[in-house]
Amino acid sequence: MSGEAGDRVATPPMVSPRIEREAALSARLEPEPMLPALVPRRRRGAPVLALAGLTVLALGFALLGAGNFVADQFARGRVLGWLTLAVAVAGFGLLFVGIARELRGLLALRSVDRLRAELLGQDAGRRVRAARRWVAGLPDASAHAGLLVAIESANDPDAVLALLHAGPGATLTARSDALGRIAAVQLVAGLAATPSASLAVLLVSWRGLRLLRQVAELHGLRPGLLGTLALVRRTVLAASAVAATEILGNAAAHALLSNPLLAHLAGEMAGAGVGARRMMVLARAAAAACSPLSGREGR
Amino acid sequence: MGSRPGRSPGFPLIASLRLDRTVRIGVTGLARAGKTSFLTSLGANLLALGAGVPCLPALQVPTLQGVRLAPAGASEMPRFDLGRHLAALAADPPAWPERTESVGLLALELSFRRGAVPLPPRRLRLEFLDYPGEWLLDLPLLRLSYADWSAATLRRLEGQEQAVEFLRFAEALPSRAGADETLASTGQRLYRACLLRLRDEAGLSMLQPGRFLMPPPGAEPPWMGFFPARAGGAFGELLARRYAAYVEQVRAELVSPLFGSVDRIVVLADLLSALHAGPAAFGDARAALAAAAAALRWQVSWEELLGQLAQLRLPKVIRRVAFAATKSDHVAERQRGNLAALVGGLTGQPGRVVEGRFAIAAVRCTEDIVWTLEGHPVSAVRGRALGEATLTRSYPGEVPAQVPDEGAPEAGFWAHRFLALPRFEPLRLPEGGRGGVASLGLDRLLAFLLEDVL
Repeated sequence: MSGEAGDRVATPPMVSPRIEREAALSARLEPEPMLPALVPRRRRGAPVLALAGLTVLALGFALLGAGNFVADQFARGRVLGWLTLAVAVAGFGLLFVGIARELRGLLALRSVDRLRAELLGQDAGRRVRAARRWVAGLPDASAHAGLLVAIESANDPDAVLALLHAGPGATLTARSDALGRIAAVQLVAGLAATPSASLAVLLVSWRGLRLLRQVAELHGLRPGLLGTLALVRRTVLAASAVAATEILGNAAAHALLSNPLLAHLAGEMAGAGVGARRMMVLARAAAAACSPLSGREGR
Repeated sequence: MGSRPGRSPGFPLIASLRLDRTVRIGVTGLARAGKTSFLTSLGANLLALGAGVPCLPALQVPTLQGVRLAPAGASEMPRFDLGRHLAALAADPPAWPERTESVGLLALELSFRRGAVPLPPRRLRLEFLDYPGEWLLDLPLLRLSYADWSAATLRRLEGQEQAVEFLRFAEALPSRAGADETLASTGQRLYRACLLRLRDEAGLSMLQPGRFLMPPPGAEPPWMGFFPARAGGAFGELLARRYAAYVEQVRAELVSPLFGSVDRIVVLADLLSALHAGPAAFGDARAALAAAAAALRWQVSWEELLGQLAQLRLPKVIRRVAFAATKSDHVAERQRGNLAALVGGLTGQPGRVVEGRFAIAAVRCTEDIVWTLEGHPVSAVRGRALGEATLTRSYPGEVPAQVPDEGAPEAGFWAHRFLALPRFEPLRLPEGGRGGVASLGLDRLLAFLLEDVL
């Protein structure tokens, strides 16, 4: 210790400074692990739980009832028992295959959300894997073989998204628009030939649902009945965003085609024109619901 | 410290209605302060934060939705090459980013959810401008005449081994020389060589004019041909005119769209190396930091304000300044508080500008250990030196909590050794840098700089 206590400088060191190399070899030092923030798990809603319970009860009791019935039939006669068992297995088999397909359709829709989250994240590894998975799952995956190579070599996380937007994203949007235009033309022709208003409603609903399924298939999804219903719900949500950009055009079309002179000249064709325009908006909204790229600007 | 950490907007609805905006932050520093590493770590950590990695704990922004590199647009400013510098740090074996020789811009776009308000996300564009530290030391010239600057500079150069050749030339100049271009260019060449040697060999920072060391892009204009001299007559007038033109250029750049919009600034300094270099180098760093701090606190007078407005220029206003001592991971945790206090002592009392003083390590290289030396437990650090396969333990000495007395070099702090810092390699970067860069104090510095805009 030096004897200059109380001067303006810091306390002098008690030991001499030194720098020494350790003898043992060492790997590069690692940082302390950073704990990710805890994300609260989403709890299932009561209606979902009730519906799941009802399904378990219905299916479980049906299976138990069928099992008891098959056992009774075996008690009556061996041939009768086997026959009943074959009928039960075939019936339940078809039922389960149908349910499995529905579930697969629903899960495919969920996977769009997962892909979207991964593509929007900054984790380059996950982004590349998600991009690769999405491109590989598209119906015309072979056409995008070159894109897969480009994704692998992209070093910038934003570059991967830009590649997807410019490649399959643009193609799918163009094809969805084309499907929307075809549906619009068919609707105009169909409405012109439809004698009653109730039939017109039926025609618009059927064509709208068909368009939804077409756009979903274009994106590599094959929704069943439940999947289509879920897709309708998603499309309605996506439509609120898409409609914001379409609303001016829609209003202009409505104003132009609904004016008395045009209505007089073209009769119900004016209403058909607005319906046709809605088909095109529906195609855009369905594409937004089915595409994992739709959560970001730049589309 | 002028920061108020943890401040949150009192009215969430109003906060969610805030408009998109751009904040430009100048990042500057004395020579070898680690500006490039700072910018690289800052960019990598903000991008990782946007991806949900909790790498900047003091920067709690629950509404942050994402961070991305913002497009450079049609700007003429070169882009800071974040990818290349990050790759160098993440490589195995790693390398420190090369010294940047030009101005660069790192632009990031942060997007925030607006809570209950159904509007598109709020966007904040953060532009970090790699502002050469050498140029920062040109700011004090705005208030100095050529004669005053020459006298102060020549006085400072006296006794410096690297300045001998130039000083001989300056003394040999005839007092009534004519306006000779050959003399001017020879003097300028000698003076520039002297500045470069003082920077590279003596590790000095207080070297003016800064643009002699870091020239702006493009051909060198004739008004750069001056140097400090006591010459009078036509030659003295020529040098004074050129000095005035240089100062005018500095003034014009301050209000240019590029630099004029900088409203907060980070000043970095490697004080630990200055402590090792001795009282002269430390005194130089002290003078440079004090000059920079005084220049940044400079408030525009009424005459200057009216003069600038008459020329349709807006006066420069710096709102926040963060002074940071870098490489704080080269000393143990116990000493980092002293390091921050030392920065405070060197930069003086804050004025009307909001100021913060920090001790940071933008890229952490070491871990803290307790080392038993001469029978005493000593807080020290250890890390792997660049290019070596074994760990190096380091206890370079004690960091003073107050500015060491320059007047008595044989007594007080300077009587004890402060060892040269080992050149450690950075800790391994998680996921090649995409998972952030381990750092010390960087989060608190960012929270201070951005607390009013997040």
